[in-house]
Amino acid sequence: MQVCFREWARAERLDHKPIGTILAASLAYRRGYAAAAGLNTPWIPLPLSGSASAIVTASNEEKTLPAVVAELRKLPLQEIIVVLNGCNDGSFTAVDRDPRITRLSFPERLGHDVGRAIGAAAATGDILLFTDGDLSVAAEDLAAFLIAIDQGEDLALNDLSPYLPPFSQQDEVTRCKAFLNLALGRPDLKANSLTAVPNALSRRFLRTVGTAALIVPPKAQALALARGLKAVAPISVDVIRKNRIRTSNSGTGNAVAQMIVGDHIEALGEVMKTEGVRLRFTTLGRSELAKMRNAR
Amino acid sequence: MVKKRKPRIRLNRKPIQRKPTLPRLVNHEDPMVSIIIPAMNERATLAGVLREAGRVHPRSETIVVANGSTDGTAELAKASGARVIRTPEPLGHDVGRRVGAEAARGQVLLFIDADMVIPARELRPYVKAVLAGVDVALNGYSGPADRKEAHPVVLAKHVLNGLLHRSDLRGASLTAVPHAMSRKGMEIIGLDALEVPPLALAKAVRLGLNVQAVHTVPVGKLNPARGRMQNKGKRVDPLTALVAGDHLEAIHWLLRQQGPRGGYGDLGRQRGKVR
Repeated sequence: MQVCFREWARAERLDHKPIGTILAASLAYRRGYAAAAGLNTPWIPLPLSGSASAIVTASNEEKTLPAVVAELRKLPLQEIIVVLNGCNDGSFTAVDRDPRITRLSFPERLGHDVGRAIGAAAATGDILLFTDGDLSVAAEDLAAFLIAIDQGEDLALNDLSPYLPPFSQQDEVTRCKAFLNLALGRPDLKANSLTAVPNALSRRFLRTVGTAALIVPPKAQALALARGLKAVAPISVDVIRKNRIRTSNSGTGNAVAQMIVGDHIEALGEVMKTEGVRLRFTTLGRSELAKMRNAR
Repeated sequence: MVKKRKPRIRLNRKPIQRKPTLPRLVNHEDPMVSIIIPAMNERATLAGVLREAGRVHPRSETIVVANGSTDGTAELAKASGARVIRTPEPLGHDVGRRVGAEAARGQVLLFIDADMVIPARELRPYVKAVLAGVDVALNGYSGPADRKEAHPVVLAKHVLNGLLHRSDLRGASLTAVPHAMSRKGMEIIGLDALEVPPLALAKAVRLGLNVQAVHTVPVGKLNPARGRMQNKGKRVDPLTALVAGDHLEAIHWLLRQQGPRGGYGDLGRQRGKVR
């Protein structure tokens, strides 16, 4: 189905259309194909010109992992890399045996960031899609990230803006994310960050900033933006409501929030090394500025 | 006999008022409070600003830093009895405040602007707070924060305060007037840092000064929008870029003081696992 669809899409020049149009066409094609072939819930064909890898990090997620993998298997992925770390439940066996799935197992807990970086280092695709083992995102939503990268973007972020409260009620982490994008000349990215999944990266992204930079996601994002890579937030997936509440990630001032704030400082420090302390905010001197603002 | 109509003369009519003579400021010879007002072509509002300045404290001096002015700002300030420092070139608010601070003799430095008249009763709380032991007394005004996305400057101020572990200050900042500081505060922050207000605030907090938002004057409503540039059809204030850059300088200082993570932990991430 994937092969047929890709050829049809190429003939129709579908790959230059907006993501929503492509997705609608893919789903319609799937419906028609399923009806004709008498299939139940087949996978989703996508007009991708590059190969795609998915990276899932999981630490004791035996309950949710099968659903996560099931959604991924609906997509035309070349490989699915599951980075199991610190698992002492049935997470390992919860992942089906499938030639497309690679299981990397680590006895110790690595955390999401290190886990994703390890997965990225092992991945071979042109497109890298990242998601977590603890929440299942519909394949239709994940497809948008793949399409965005295939269309030439380097960084496709989850647009969390619809789920944010007014500024006065936002936490420090959200504000840091918005400030980092602002400081790098991309206020339109709002508070969207590589810290949140799902997201997808291009192979060029990894080559430009290095796989190890993914250990500190805001740093990788800042370096990419500073070096002129292309970024978008193509779709909104509500991971805030679905994410399970852990003692370590709820409330402000918790350990994870503190770490993420530190990540943003590290990110700013890193880009300041090459872009200068004031980044892109080189403006007129205070004297010229005063002169200009004084002219009414 | 027909009474001839008398022309009505209002006997109790007030005499035609001449422009009131400027109330002369009295600069105390050993001032407790120095009021510092940078001014660039602010003839229109300066008299009102100086009148209120004169009412703030009985032992005060008022310093007008008349910079780049061609409308007689300096002469008006002189005539009103203020101490005047003149510079032919424009300095901007920040450098203007520094120049004023350098010349100040008081123990409390109160900073206001020449383009908006703030009543003396709204200024006294800042002076009182410093006299009571606060080193840096800020305006509690945070800017509009009811929408999802804040103005870049409002965002930057909140972020910096958060990084300084002073979220309680919300969007309060040394970029906004009125604010006051103690002489000790000025010396610890350093005159050079005063030219970059967010850096001055970062230094004040990190070097252990008592920094508080003591009183709120909603200056956003008083501040006229002006001098804007067009950029892709949108009105952009060039000051926004200056202030955002200033905040980055403050964060950079924080980095140098506290290491690449600004004192925040890494939660035991095993960075060596990835090559």
